[in-house]
Amino acid sequence: MTTPAKILLIDDDPDFREAVTAILTSASYAVIPASGPAEGKEKILAEKPDLVLLDIMMDSLFDGFSLCHDIKNSKEFEAVRKTPIIFVSAVKQIAGSRFEFKGGEQGLAGPDDYIDKPVKPADLLARIEKHLRK
Amino acid sequence: MRESQDLILIIDDEETIRDSCVQILVKSGYAAETAENGETGIQKIRDLRPDAVIVDLKMPGMSGFDVLENLRVIDPQIMAIVITGYATVDSAVEAMKKGAYDFLPKPFTPEELRMILARALEHRKLALEAEALRREKELLEENMITMVSHQLRSPLVAIQQYFEVLLAGMAGSLEEKTREMIRKASDRLVRLLDLINDWLDLARIDTGRLVGKLKPLDLRPALGKLVEFMAPLARESDMAISWDAPEGPLSSVLGDEETLEQVFTNLISNAIKFNKPHGRVSVRIGEERDDVLVEVQDTGIGISKEDLPRIFDQFVQISRRADKKLKGSGLGLSIAKKIIEAHGGRIDVKSEPGTGSTFTVRLPKSHPETASP
Repeated sequence: MTTPAKILLIDDDPDFREAVTAILTSASYAVIPASGPAEGKEKILAEKPDLVLLDIMMDSLFDGFSLCHDIKNSKEFEAVRKTPIIFVSAVKQIAGSRFEFKGGEQGLAGPDDYIDKPVKPADLLARIEKHLRK
Repeated sequence: MRESQDLILIIDDEETIRDSCVQILVKSGYAAETAENGETGIQKIRDLRPDAVIVDLKMPGMSGFDVLENLRVIDPQIMAIVITGYATVDSAVEAMKKGAYDFLPKPFTPEELRMILARALEHRKLALEAEALRREKELLEENMITMVSHQLRSPLVAIQQYFEVLLAGMAGSLEEKTREMIRKASDRLVRLLDLINDWLDLARIDTGRLVGKLKPLDLRPALGKLVEFMAPLARESDMAISWDAPEGPLSSVLGDEETLEQVFTNLISNAIKFNKPHGRVSVRIGEERDDVLVEVQDTGIGISKEDLPRIFDQFVQISRRADKKLKGSGLGLSIAKKIIEAHGGRIDVKSEPGTGSTFTVRLPKSHPETASP
């Protein structure tokens, strides 16, 4: 038996975390919960997950964006830079500006995928599997 | 009492003036810095960001006027008071034109300096407060919609997420009756989330933020794809759907693809939803004078004359829905209208009760005179 893939779930809503954890464990993934950007930063470095599910709006409007940007671009996270990040969010637009995947103008790396909240269990599992296979 | 000490920079080549100014200012509770020429002065403005600058107009090398010009570029909110040895009205006016707030003719008394400086700093304080307020208001407006949306949606999303888990059997198996009720509750919740989305879309258009950047857009392939995408939905309801576009050149429009797609998705799905059994939906594109024209026609129950004028109003659920399951928020068409109008276009409807309805969208060509291939 191979060890199950580890998924870091960063979301400030405990109920949402519980529900998504149920989905992930049903597919035998190991779930590492984090209740906000700070804990998320800590755990991605400490636990080296295979994939990150990241909420966009937590304490402030752009928490998820900043965290994703840091992980993909800053030196501090060099060791985990390649970890796939999937945005899980109920917002598609922030004050009219749409998400830029894979960087935008500055050529900076962005999230690897995006899923609407609430997530369809089958859809979530299929996307995770797709990114883990890469 | 000031909360923090204001920093005043004195730029003057005469040591006695610098010293006396510093003395006066420090005694009055200000922090003071000095520079003996214009170059040093500008460097100190950059490094120290003083609240106000007192500058001699006539200095060897860089003049006070040059300092003023630089100051305006570095930070126009820093107050400038000029010292004029030759107190002519002309040089004072010239200095004010270059952004000075006031002037001090030499020789001046400590009281004159204090008074003019106090007035300048009061002006700065008010200007900064007004600026901060304006920025805060802008930010509030921008974030308000997003925050409200987030706070309304978060609890509902969590509930719906639990439902999804339960319905997927991931928290244990459910009895048929239980599953059925959870499914109904979940359906209602999805509708509520849709309603909130629609409402927020409307709020965004009202603040002018829904429609993104307008770019030249060829509607023909975009619409063709959309019809293809909607075809399974039509088949499911036993409808025929047709797509009619001219072979030749067709002008592009200035549009935001995402919101326009939202409009046409809404029109086509309405045409399917409100059609007769085995009905037909026709989507056409063409040109008419300076507009590109898109028509979505159905063979449905139509809209009565009384309802026709109200069909684009918000929250109107007109009677053509009566025999159908109540679906949607009643905002779709008013959103469509606002999006089209934000593009400088028009949306109209013609309907014959019992025969069908035709919705016509007109969008201005991006280059009215020349048709692009």
